[in-house]
Amino acid sequence: MGDDSILAARDVRKAFGGIQAVDDCTLSVSKESVTGLIGPNGAGKSTLFNIIAGLYRPDGGEIWFDGTRIDGLPPYEIVRLGLTKTWQIPHELRNLTVLENLVLAAKGNAGEHLLNLFFRPYRVRRDERRWRARAREVLALTQLEGLANEHAKDLSGGQKKLLELARALMSDPPLVLLDEPVAGVNPTLAGNLMDLIERLRRGGTTFFLIEHDMNVVMNRCDRVIVMHQGRKIAEGTPAIVKADPVVIESYLGG
Amino acid sequence: MAIDTGLLTNIGFYVSVSIIFAVLALGFNIQWGYTGLFNAGVAGFFLIGAYVTAIAITLPAPPIVIAGIPVYPGHLGGYHLPFAAGALLAMFASGAAAALVALPTMRLRADYLAIATLAFAEIVRIFAINLESVTGGTIGIILIPRPVEFRPPDPFLNTAAIVGIGALILLVLLFVLQFIAESPWGRVLRAIREDEEATMALGKNAFRYKLQAFALGGALMGLAGSLFAVTLAYVEPTISFAPAVTFSVWVMVIVGGSGNNRGAILGAFLIYGLEFLSVQLKDFAPAALKDTIFYIRLIIVGVLLILLILFRPTGILPEKKRVLR
Repeated sequence: MGDDSILAARDVRKAFGGIQAVDDCTLSVSKESVTGLIGPNGAGKSTLFNIIAGLYRPDGGEIWFDGTRIDGLPPYEIVRLGLTKTWQIPHELRNLTVLENLVLAAKGNAGEHLLNLFFRPYRVRRDERRWRARAREVLALTQLEGLANEHAKDLSGGQKKLLELARALMSDPPLVLLDEPVAGVNPTLAGNLMDLIERLRRGGTTFFLIEHDMNVVMNRCDRVIVMHQGRKIAEGTPAIVKADPVVIESYLGG
Repeated sequence: MAIDTGLLTNIGFYVSVSIIFAVLALGFNIQWGYTGLFNAGVAGFFLIGAYVTAIAITLPAPPIVIAGIPVYPGHLGGYHLPFAAGALLAMFASGAAAALVALPTMRLRADYLAIATLAFAEIVRIFAINLESVTGGTIGIILIPRPVEFRPPDPFLNTAAIVGIGALILLVLLFVLQFIAESPWGRVLRAIREDEEATMALGKNAFRYKLQAFALGGALMGLAGSLFAVTLAYVEPTISFAPAVTFSVWVMVIVGGSGNNRGAILGAFLIYGLEFLSVQLKDFAPAALKDTIFYIRLIIVGVLLILLILFRPTGILPEKKRVLR
């Protein structure tokens, strides 16, 4: 793994009961890339994402994010370091509005500390104003502005996916993990989404995404990592991966 | 006095006890309505507040022995502090107790907190019954001084003073709670209620927020206990802090509107109103109903609850949608 990597996993292992979901997995993601993670169902992709985000504790191995070792840290600290993640199945906060969902993804909002409410009212108001403005910005980016004050539970499946992405972008993190960002999103919108991701990448954000849509993977990713049975079995540009006989046999089919 | 103050005293008693339940309901609303933490031991935190206040503000009470027979075991304290000090101590004690109970169970699934708090409340009550030298045993603690004493004693003025103090506390509480629960801090609590894992993945230390919310709710229950001690002027451990008190508070918050502070207060006045009415009507009820009217109330509350859950599950005053500008 070169010096340009923002994320590196070394020999990461995780078992659930007798199933070895992630098995000595070693991979890295280059800075300012859009890196795809593909593989058959049950390959351990989502599990690996959850381990990276701190939601599961790995049984072994190391994970490094931008020079900091993050395995074993609680999820909220990993987010504060600048690594956010979306969920494959949307985890929208159902009875909160879309705007509230977004503002909650703020980083360092003073009003979220009980004592600040009483002792630093000016900062509380200023932060809240700033984060609401940022939320409006991100809503516009993700084409959700018309739904700002709707309950998140009333959104369609595709809109919930957008909300996931919007929350992940709120704090302008250097690395975003996307778990099937366009699954269930209509093709036009999916295209717009991938354009947005490309724009943000040029602005310096790194994306690491799980996706089954081969069009997205082949046309939009700079690099592709293939997982099978908990391990990385191939890596390279989309063209190289597509031609790899091992990948064809285990995932792409003949 | 020329006017009949009996009825007014009665109404005053209803209002003062409703205020106590309203404070309990506000505490439970922060825990359950906002944060989704299920407290099955409301009565325990209520008890701690009542006893702490009683011990703090009474005069010394040595054991009473008449002709060699112990009549009263006495109780700890007799510090004779002002009511405000007693109330603050009660809030601190109940808040700390809530944090301690929550600490080991909060990282587990939600149901464990319910089990732990239910057991805690019963343990506290059994201690209150048996730890005679501290709590006065089954007799409890009597002669608790009222915040305002009238000479000669006047039940109407006493009640009026308690209602005044209670109403003031309730108003200030509603104002402060509205401020902190509708802040960005309260928004994190509601996020945890909706999805704790997702909230953590948004960068919030959910454990810390849950602990704060639970302790704050516990402190409010302690304050309610404090008000209870000076309203009745005595505390006893057998009926006042039974699990049924906890269940009543649940019903109040669910009926009034979970996640809405005004709803919690409304629920308290309504549900305690039914209980008060059933006691008042007992004297007027036909002979056949005299012994059953109390149970008829329970049936009415049960049916009301079922109807509400069927047709208006969000309560009378539902949680509002927060429209941000």
